[in-house]
Amino acid sequence: MSTPASLKVGPHTTLVLVKKRYLIFYVFLIWISLFSIQFEFWWFWGLYNEKFIHFVLFLPLLLFVMYFSGILVSLIFAKILLVIVNLIHKPQEGVFLRDRSDRNYRYWSLRSVIKKWPLWISHKFPFPFMDNICLKVFGVKTKFSSSLFEGFIDTEFIEFGKNIAIGQGAIVQSAIIIGNLLIIRKTIIEDNVVIGVHSVVMPGSHLRENSILAGNSLTTVGFQGEKGWVYIGAPAKKFKKNVFFEEDLEEIIENQAQKEIKIDLKVEDLYTMRKDKEGKNENSDNH
Amino acid sequence: MILSEKTNGDDKVDYTIDFVTSSVVNKISIKFIFLYIPILWVAGYMAVAVFFDVSRYIPWYINMLFFPIWLFILYFIFIFGIAIISKAFLLMINMIHKPKEGVFKAIKGDQDFEFWRLRVELKKLVFWVMNNGPLPWVVMWGFRWMGIQVDFSSHMQDAWSDEGFIEFGRNITIGQGAVIMSSMVIGQYLIIKKVILGDHSLVGGVAKIAPGTVIGKEAVVGAFTTTIPNQEIEPAWIYFGPQFAHKLKPNKYAEQRRDVIIQKDVDKEIKYEVQQEVNIDEDKKDLLNNKGDE
Repeated sequence: MSTPASLKVGPHTTLVLVKKRYLIFYVFLIWISLFSIQFEFWWFWGLYNEKFIHFVLFLPLLLFVMYFSGILVSLIFAKILLVIVNLIHKPQEGVFLRDRSDRNYRYWSLRSVIKKWPLWISHKFPFPFMDNICLKVFGVKTKFSSSLFEGFIDTEFIEFGKNIAIGQGAIVQSAIIIGNLLIIRKTIIEDNVVIGVHSVVMPGSHLRENSILAGNSLTTVGFQGEKGWVYIGAPAKKFKKNVFFEEDLEEIIENQAQKEIKIDLKVEDLYTMRKDKEGKNENSDNH
Repeated sequence: MILSEKTNGDDKVDYTIDFVTSSVVNKISIKFIFLYIPILWVAGYMAVAVFFDVSRYIPWYINMLFFPIWLFILYFIFIFGIAIISKAFLLMINMIHKPKEGVFKAIKGDQDFEFWRLRVELKKLVFWVMNNGPLPWVVMWGFRWMGIQVDFSSHMQDAWSDEGFIEFGRNITIGQGAVIMSSMVIGQYLIIKKVILGDHSLVGGVAKIAPGTVIGKEAVVGAFTTTIPNQEIEPAWIYFGPQFAHKLKPNKYAEQRRDVIIQKDVDKEIKYEVQQEVNIDEDKKDLLNNKGDE
């Protein structure tokens, strides 16, 4: 039921370009988190000879605690590293050259490498709130009520509201690489927004309150949504008003089953320029 | 009375649901940890107890030699322990509140919504454990065990499936990363409706099946295709469309797959092309060809 498990497609951690010289940070974080696990086990092993029953009974619970502490320790050390890195160079929005000579690009790679292990380890476990804790530590504004654990989310320059649902395998980005350029722009998702299955939110998008990005759709860079609309398609376009926050709609929604829905024309209107329709529009304008 | 369009002042309001959102739990809470800890603890205890009870009667060098097999056995005890305990929890939850189809309010306090969240989070643990192993039989067994009607002739191990209300026929293929949803949250409302997949049907990779979809026998839903809620996919047709599924062409492969292929004798006969010569003089032959022009 969780993306890491049942949907084995797509990334679950930050975007990273492989660099050999940043491997040391990665190894350090893995080492330090495994060290905490090892330390706890060593401390617990003392019970093996004294109170064997206690040892056996609490061993599964300890494994649980060990996992938690592994995540927390890696998070704390990653945060410390991030603070130091951000003191040296402050993260900036903008368009940068994807090259070693560009300072912003270098530090962006470094930050993503540092964040990768803690995110991966917390995403691998089926707790829905581990991702929220992880993102909060990394400085993303979120609320615990929003479910972010099924998708893939960048960890900086992102603002979340509350009660957000990010669909299975959806991608929310704040940095992309296009050709020779690295684009970092702030992505804002406000309250009650639902991002559909497998849809992609590109950097710089702003999805306002109560709006829906339907499944399989894609926003463009710098996309500006409106309040309370349903967006569909790639690139996302206005589809219709989101009226599903009104009261007493149960009966209406249930009655949809008996109707034949014709969506063909609606989508066609969004994406194609029909010659016959164009002619009609021109005539009506002339009159 | 047309229920889909309710006039609101002067503007007509469109209430049709012709798009797909997602079926993730839109409000999570930290209280689910009280569900996970007892399950993981008891299942882990089963594995640990078996290990320490059995391994003490075996010499240490044999234990060391067969340690990989030990790990394998313990892993299975652990995942089947989780499955059994979760099922016990699920039966208890379903006795308190029977899961049912329909449209519910997706707000805190609504009983159907709260129990839906509880069921999703409970089954998630089982599917997570099953899916992280490399054995497809165990995954399919997990789906069956937690109440999805599917048998071993179909396979779904690389796809997402919702927590229930899914009915499989026989010999179904579900592509990688496909999402089969029987529940969907739109605005304030939670929709739960049964998804039915007919025999020998095929769902392509990264396709999305919305709640209430009925897929007919031998139908194909192409890759990246989205069905809209309550859509009917006709039998033996190929459907395609990234925003909504529409008919592409009849599924000819269905005919090939059928056990008995009726071969018509007419097709087997050898055809000869015969040129019929007309017995006239050479200089008058072009008169025959130019007849139409006159």
